[in-house]
This record gives sequence, C-alpha cells and structure tokens, in this order.
Amino acid sequence: MNRVVITGLGVVSALGRNVAEFRDGLLAGRCAIGPITQFDTSDHQVRIGAEVPDYVPEEHFDKNQLAQIDRFAQFALLATREAVSDAGLSFEGELAERTAVVHGTGIGGQSTQDENYHKLYAEGGKRVHPFTIPKLMPNAGCSQITMEFGIKGPAFTTATACSSSGHAIGLAMMLLRQGMADVAVTGGAEACLTHGTMRGWEALRVASKDTCSPFSNKRGGMVVGEGAATLILETLEHAQARGAKIYAELLGFGMSADAGNIVQPSMDGAVRAIRNCLKDAGLATSDVQYINAHGTGTPQNDPTETAAIRTVFAELADGLAVSSTKSMHGHVLGGAAAVEAVATVLALNAQIAPPTANFTEPDPKCDLDYVPNTPRPMAIKNAISNSFAFGGLNTVLAFGRAP
Amino acid sequence: MSDQVSADIFEILLSHAENKPESMDAGTVLSEAGIDSLALVEIIFDLEEKFDITIPNPDEIEGMDTAFETAGDVVKAVKTLLDEKG
Repeated sequence: MNRVVITGLGVVSALGRNVAEFRDGLLAGRCAIGPITQFDTSDHQVRIGAEVPDYVPEEHFDKNQLAQIDRFAQFALLATREAVSDAGLSFEGELAERTAVVHGTGIGGQSTQDENYHKLYAEGGKRVHPFTIPKLMPNAGCSQITMEFGIKGPAFTTATACSSSGHAIGLAMMLLRQGMADVAVTGGAEACLTHGTMRGWEALRVASKDTCSPFSNKRGGMVVGEGAATLILETLEHAQARGAKIYAELLGFGMSADAGNIVQPSMDGAVRAIRNCLKDAGLATSDVQYINAHGTGTPQNDPTETAAIRTVFAELADGLAVSSTKSMHGHVLGGAAAVEAVATVLALNAQIAPPTANFTEPDPKCDLDYVPNTPRPMAIKNAISNSFAFGGLNTVLAFGRAP
Repeated sequence: MSDQVSADIFEILLSHAENKPESMDAGTVLSEAGIDSLALVEIIFDLEEKFDITIPNPDEIEGMDTAFETAGDVVKAVKTLLDEKG
C-alpha cells in the first residue's frame, strides 16, 4: 500500500484569499465573519456570513468562462490554481492520465439556481440562462478542474453535506494507496450565501445572528461561510522521485454513518469515525496532540463532539488541544473539511495550534481544552480533523509530519 | 438589412464571435466568425431576452429549412417570429 503525502495547498476563504493570507489569519486567531454583502439581507434574521473578501470574478475569468462557471466552481479553480502551482506540477503526457480529481461540494451551483429560478418565480420570466444546468451541477467544480488543467485520470464529485470534501480527500488517498493514480487533486468548494439558502438556514434555527463561538456557553450557532481548498496528494514514491516539497503525510481516513437522525448528530457515529481513522492511520490515542474539531458552534454539535472525543481518548482527552477554526473562516459546508485540512496541515507545519476564536465562557457540557482565543505554539506530531455532516455521514482525516 | 432589428442581432452575434469579423452582414457565415453550437445557445438566449420571443429549432420556424448557418438565417428567423408575435 502506497504512503500518501501532501505536496501542494490552495485556499480561497473569508480568512484569506490564498494560503499566505489564510495562514496569517489562522495563526493570529482572526475572525473573518461579517455582514453578508452578496444580497439584501434587510428582511433576514441572519445577516452574517464568512464571505470571500473583495472578490471580483472578472479579475480571474474571462466573459465566456463566467457564463459557464458558477461562483463555487470559480473558487474551486482558484484554490486549485494555487495548489497546482505550489506543487510545481504540470499535467502532461502520462501524468495527465495518472492524476485523479476528487472534489467535494454540498450543493454545487447554488447562486446559479437562486438567480435563475428567481427570474422564473419572482420576475415572471419565461426562460433561464442556457448554461444554468452545467453551472449548477455539483460535479461542475470537478469537471472545470479537469478541463483547465488537462487532467484525464479518475475524476468524480462527492456530496455528503459538511463531510463532502472529507470524503473527497479520503477517497483520493485511497486511490493513491491502491495505485490507481500517482497524484490526486482533491478538496472541495461551496458558495451558497444566497437569499434562498440563507432562508433555509434561518428556518432550521441553527444559524447564529452575531458570530460563531464554538464550545462557548450561550453560543448562537453556526455561521455559513464560502470558499474552497485544494490539496495536492501524491504517493510518497512519486513525490520523492521528483524532489517535491512535502507539507505532511496523510496518514489515515475514517468514515461512519450515524444511521440516526437527518440533522441531530450522534456521539456513537462520531466515535466510530474517529476510531476508524486512528486504526486506518495506525495511530494510538496517545499519538495525537491536536484535533481540528467539527465545532460548528451549535448547541447540538459541540457537546456531542466533546463527548465523542472523551469517549475515544479517555483520560488522554484533557491533554489534547481541540480547536474549531470555523470560528474564524465560518462553516464552508461541502468545502469545510478541505479548508480545515489545509488549516490542520498549516498547524502541523507551524507547530502552532490555531485557536477557537470568539471564546467567551466555558459551557459546562464542553470541558476540553479548546485553545481559547490565543494561538498556542506546541509540539504537534499528529493531528486529526473531524467532519460530521447533516445526514449523519462522518469523516475523520489523520495527518502526520512530513516523512 | 440596415434596419434596427438586424443591427441588434448583429451586435449580439458579434459579442459572441470568437473570430470577430470586420463587419457583420446577412452573408456572414457563423462558423467562420467563430460562433460554435455552444455560443449559438447563448445567442438564442440573448435574442429571446432582447425581443421577448421564443425561438424554436430552425426547422420549426415558418419558411426556415436549415440550421442557422449565416447571420441572415438568424435575422430571418427572428423577423418571422416577431411577425408571428404581431
């Protein structure tokens, strides 16, 4: 079984429009949540989000591309451009066919759906833009990546809500382990800060009206974010043969299904996903120092995740640094696991645990060390990143320092 | 065809032409102007929005028996549909 390493990173997020900006924000504990500007929120109860700042599509895409590429796929391409360039790869000859693209999104082209259906339902329009379907389909991000970079190997999209890009990264790793590809472009993207979607979150009553303060008492809930992250995975052999810079090793992947409730998380499902990941990675509980938590900031997730971590790590749980970087970059939904994978890799490289921002006072039901507000320099040999999705489909990824 | 309808159509066609010709007239061959089938789909959308008409497949339009090959074919179709709309 091939070992798998990470050789390129790219990110587009409220916290930073590239890896350098994102790293600075992450390791400074900066909260990038603010008012939503993409549509008029004046009659909305939830008016905040984590938007990519100062985003001008025309600076990155020509008119013809913009007619065909939804905002979520634009972010997917931008993050991938950065990651591919960072890895120093070009997909020519045999490598094009030996490279996979596995990409996650929860919804796909939500702004395309919203804008075009608004024309029909609200404006009495009779037609929608001819590229409505190819823009909104969830696999558009994956397909656009293959087209822009000429990647011709295995390529598909995973859609498992907030675990979408966790499944993508894990399955990409499995392709490389198995020898079905030498390189994988993987990650995820989401851009659904739209009138319709935000009404949906508002109705579910899990979205915060002020900010995202995971694990804190009196927290208001989750904050929807947007963006994308791409990781370049390679077999260790392939990376070493070309002398690639290696950020970290992707050690393992665990999955589980709650088989419980469509929105209520289960501790049992989370426990099984974490244990499956540690087993796959060959890690003992004592080998892990940092956990990038799912940490949505909802009353439902945070105590359940805390209890799951306590169940798996037992007496070692108190020695773990556990933080939710969603407190800074918002909940990027289908792109969240990818953004948080990048955050975890950056934490490993910097040997700094990013904090849980906006932490006010402890919740008696959440009693771990959440690295409140201040980044913490510490020795991190191995780290895991949790993603527990609506629908009860869970993923956990394990990362270790570069071999 | 120096009327306004033709001028509007030519402007839309030109905005989607990959190989923009010096000028466009009824004889301009769409494929030579770099308008492929995908661009034509967008052009039809723009024309429908501009003239508030619905453009069916060319062979369903009265008096048309071929696909849109030239700019003139497009003008003819749009004018026919505008006449039908009254």
